[in-house]
Amino acid sequence: MKRRTLIAGVAAAGAAVAAGLYRFTDLFVKHYPPTPYDDVLAALADREEAARLGARVGNAAAPEALAARLRIILKPDGFGGAARSDIAAGRLTEVDGWVVPQSVALLSALAAKV
Amino acid sequence: MTAFLDARALPSDTVLEPDIAIIGGGPAGISLALALANTKLNVLLLESGGQNFDPANQKMYGGSQSGLSYIALDAGRLRFLGGGTNHWGGWCRPMDEVDFEAKPWLPHSGWPFPRKALEPYYPRAQALVEAGPWIYDQKGDAENAPEGSVLPLSKGGLYTSWFQFSKMRGDVLPTQFGKRYEADLKRAPNIKPLLHANITAIRLSPDAKRVEKLEGATLGSNGGAGKRFTVKPRFVVLAAGGMENARLLLVSNDVMKTGVGNQNDLVGRFFADNPVPRDVATVVSFDGPLAPFYGSNQTLDDGAIMRATFAPTAAFCRSARVLGSLSTIEQPVELDETGKAAVITTAIALGVDASNAKARSLGCGMELAPDPDRRLVLTSDKDALDLPRLKLNMRVSDEDFARYRRTLVELGRQLLASRTGMLRIDKKTRDDWMKTMDWGHHHLGTTRMHIDPKQGVVDADGLVHGLGNLYVAGSSIFPSYSASNPTLNLIALTLRLADHLKKVMA
Repeated sequence: MKRRTLIAGVAAAGAAVAAGLYRFTDLFVKHYPPTPYDDVLAALADREEAARLGARVGNAAAPEALAARLRIILKPDGFGGAARSDIAAGRLTEVDGWVVPQSVALLSALAAKV
Repeated sequence: MTAFLDARALPSDTVLEPDIAIIGGGPAGISLALALANTKLNVLLLESGGQNFDPANQKMYGGSQSGLSYIALDAGRLRFLGGGTNHWGGWCRPMDEVDFEAKPWLPHSGWPFPRKALEPYYPRAQALVEAGPWIYDQKGDAENAPEGSVLPLSKGGLYTSWFQFSKMRGDVLPTQFGKRYEADLKRAPNIKPLLHANITAIRLSPDAKRVEKLEGATLGSNGGAGKRFTVKPRFVVLAAGGMENARLLLVSNDVMKTGVGNQNDLVGRFFADNPVPRDVATVVSFDGPLAPFYGSNQTLDDGAIMRATFAPTAAFCRSARVLGSLSTIEQPVELDETGKAAVITTAIALGVDASNAKARSLGCGMELAPDPDRRLVLTSDKDALDLPRLKLNMRVSDEDFARYRRTLVELGRQLLASRTGMLRIDKKTRDDWMKTMDWGHHHLGTTRMHIDPKQGVVDADGLVHGLGNLYVAGSSIFPSYSASNPTLNLIALTLRLADHLKKVMA
């Protein structure tokens, strides 16, 4: 076997193992294709559930606009801080009847759009 | 001890001349009679029914309706000794101070006196309904909670308040005044309970200043009127319930052509009940099941039976312009996929573990805004004693629902702020509200109290404006209504009337 072939084979095998491992860990941590809003979506520990909630938000804004707004909202204290601020200020949104902090609704809506 | 008198056994055209005639042997009438026991006053307690349910007698309550679908007029009240207490659920809670306030943003609201005018009478009212020691909101803090812990709510518009219950007797209903106080009524030498005695008209003096006499009749075996009798009392107290009080005033129209006390077209108007919509919301507790006193009655060592409820604070009522509401936890609920997503996502945002979250439905007793067009009128249809039957025009405004919705949003906010749970409002449209609508069967407001005769049928003492000797007792004189169940409150109000009568008749 030529040396070049061996290297290519090992590289291919390594890539296959890496891809498999990546898929395997998906069972524990869901992996998503990259988006321009990953810096914002990273605040969601369970993006799938957020997307399910977000599907009921009915926010017509484009993902870019939502993400831009969320970057401002989340900047000072992160997701938890934004949610707490919303609650204290009475900035609540009803999503399918659920009374949630506005930041929860917006971030969920973004998760549903990507 | 003497037996009850039976009007059917009176000689024809008997004339009775008591100091006070009380028309109606329900909780107001019986409480008033008991409060006047062993005084020098000769008290005649007139009860249409006997000591047990009689379908023929009950049928006289029948009437018709227009507007919003409401329970039949002969349901929700019982025409025999004890009245509504023969089927009540025993729920007791004193009205809040804010319930008595005139609200600048709410027309026709407010009582002619503050709650403190009733406070001296609550302990005796509590004893009469046999609800045990006066505890109520003293159990509001976690240390004194009956069993388990109170759901922490952040500072805000609602707080955990408490109902107490009339004493249960095994699986039998709570205190039934006709049975419970039968011996007391018989024992009092100055009280004469007269059963099967229907009052068919209140006859005024020609100058319309005083009641001269009451015309009465028994229900005959032929289905029509039986024996006739007359009562000529010095004073009359009308205590026949929220619908019959108005009816008797309206049918008595020989001197005052629009009916007794109806010179300003107020009798029968402002009818109200407490709407009891079920499944109004879903409450999720992040930390597992709520304490048992949220979902059912709990009996304490001292005999008090209690149940928690979420009530709005006075400050929130004023600032958010909401009315009374008492929201209680009901059935367990399974969350749908959106519900699970809402709980998981929100709990993550709040940094709490919701893996053990439990959901329950929320029900409510609401207060309605006073509405002059929610009213009772007479019809041409007649009952067995030839009295015109009533027709109710029932209404609930969209704003009534909107007010309670604001209260629910605030409860949701407080649950989030305390990081203990969250809430889903299950009602959006008017149809949603009406789909699960029940009623408190509380008949309120039809002879409302106000110091101004143009705005009320009776004055602050319950005296019919313009008359010198006709009083009205019971929840028909409530000018605005509260979400608290009326029985305890109307009894306190009646005991206040008893003190007033003792003074004016001395």
